[in-house]
Amino acid sequence: MRRVAIIGAATTKFKSRWLDRTYYELAYDVTKEVLADAGIGKDRIDSCVYGMYNDLFARQYQPDLFAHDYIGMAPRPAVRVNTGGATGGSAIRMGMAEVASGMSDVTLVLGVEKCNDCFNYEAGITTPEVLKSINYTADMTYEFPTGRTAASVFALAVIAHQEKYGGLPTREQMAKVSVKNHRNAVKNPVAQSPKLLTVEDVINARMISYPFGFYDNCLYTEGAAAVILASEDVARKLCPKPIWITGVGAALDWAFLGNRPNLYEFHSSREAAVRAYKMAGITNPRREIDLAELHDAFTGTEIMAYEDCLFCEPGEGGKLIDQEVVEPWGDLPVNLSGGLIGCGHAVGATGIMQTVEVVMHLRGEAGERQVKEARRGLVQSIGGIANAWTVVLILEKEV
Amino acid sequence: MPTKIDAQKWYERNSKRIGVPVDLIRQNYREEFEGEKDIGEPLEIPDKMEVFYKYTYGQQSRFFREIRENQKLYGARCKKCGKVFCPPRAGCPHCFEDTEWLPLEGTGTLVTYTIVYFSNSVFARKVPFVCGYVKLDGTDFLILQSIYMDDVEKARPGMRVKVCYQEERDGRITDIYFTPVDE
Repeated sequence: MRRVAIIGAATTKFKSRWLDRTYYELAYDVTKEVLADAGIGKDRIDSCVYGMYNDLFARQYQPDLFAHDYIGMAPRPAVRVNTGGATGGSAIRMGMAEVASGMSDVTLVLGVEKCNDCFNYEAGITTPEVLKSINYTADMTYEFPTGRTAASVFALAVIAHQEKYGGLPTREQMAKVSVKNHRNAVKNPVAQSPKLLTVEDVINARMISYPFGFYDNCLYTEGAAAVILASEDVARKLCPKPIWITGVGAALDWAFLGNRPNLYEFHSSREAAVRAYKMAGITNPRREIDLAELHDAFTGTEIMAYEDCLFCEPGEGGKLIDQEVVEPWGDLPVNLSGGLIGCGHAVGATGIMQTVEVVMHLRGEAGERQVKEARRGLVQSIGGIANAWTVVLILEKEV
Repeated sequence: MPTKIDAQKWYERNSKRIGVPVDLIRQNYREEFEGEKDIGEPLEIPDKMEVFYKYTYGQQSRFFREIRENQKLYGARCKKCGKVFCPPRAGCPHCFEDTEWLPLEGTGTLVTYTIVYFSNSVFARKVPFVCGYVKLDGTDFLILQSIYMDDVEKARPGMRVKVCYQEERDGRITDIYFTPVDE
């Protein structure tokens, strides 16, 4: 396999509504930005991978066709990837395969999502209709008709975890994750929900799906993010600060949760982490990783992700937030971007936004939120029914 | 001079077009038709995507017929490993062997659950409700279902439940639900 570098990275503003942009216009904006970041023209791009999750959000089947047209990439080969919330991570993995295999020297990986064109006329708001579009990804025969939501499915896993580990994570531990991620978002200019909250604010917010309240949930976000991947020889010629993808791991678990051996851990997340660590030669992730962007779709699942990424023993994830290890001043900061809770969840773009975040830290270009001595970072992208898919990426700078 | 759009007619046309009552269209587009709008301002339109189905349950058809016609719950047992699936499947994904139908008692244990306080458009009016994974007695895997309870906050992992049948059954999974069993 050839080594693969990230030579360009960009994210549009993440916000709840881009009223003055369609999805392909957002794709256009971010393409312009990422080409500028890489300092190359579009002629250098050999192929494209598009991360787009929901056709119902886009009001368009195969929206990648029109994005490809809008950014003027015809007639290059291109493919769209859709693995739910893990779409961004999967798109990067696919782009990496393009370059590592030698099929392309330079590949554009672009994620874009716009959910809030969905609208519930009765309630006069978008959310219930956005949720409906998401719920069509539940099995339509057995599970959609129960009325479960994305939040409920992850809640089921957190309740199972609490049942297994004597009530852990606690309500307070989950609330602290929300406080951290909203606070981190304050220093991120592209974030949708920068907020200074207290643990009490989070605990007292209205209930969404027990045990998750309003601030335990990620946001619905519109936005785009992109990276440009290149082979080693091209990267050395074009890029002063290439960031290397040294590890990638992916897994897809049983999607009917009832078929999993248990519900208190995310097997795909563990599997993907183990594979990525093996490829990157990491034996002690807690010590060898300097920062992580985890898929905090919900506060409780960020804590479960600490365990599934082997940062701690099973059941002990809550300690990492209690001991402030994952705070910006801790030795393994998690979600300095604000994550999905603070920066936002523009589904197909999310994993790419989080990759861009780690790239900025490794380059030393993360501004106010720059983590000290960042050499190696991790990105976790999860999607589907309760972490059916997970992709883990390990990024490193030259030393 | 630009043509002035007749707002009322626009509401009526679009109400018909997407099947939403005209007063709801009016409510959500009043702003668009009140006051002056710049010609370049973002324009939002009412739309929907719709497909009709006559969907086949394939090899799972008997499961839904037994529920609808006989108020009986069936699982599917692998002829090789003996594991029992409910929801049923025609072939075992572990052994790649056919399964056979097996009547179930309809009792089980709630393994994990959540209380849904905010749901999507289809279920928005039913909240709060409990849904969770149930391990039916005699099966090896779990089924996701609604648990009907007067006091939703009394739901707990380990709670014993039993299947109940709706009075009017349509051949859908919602023909059944679970209620707690007092033991």
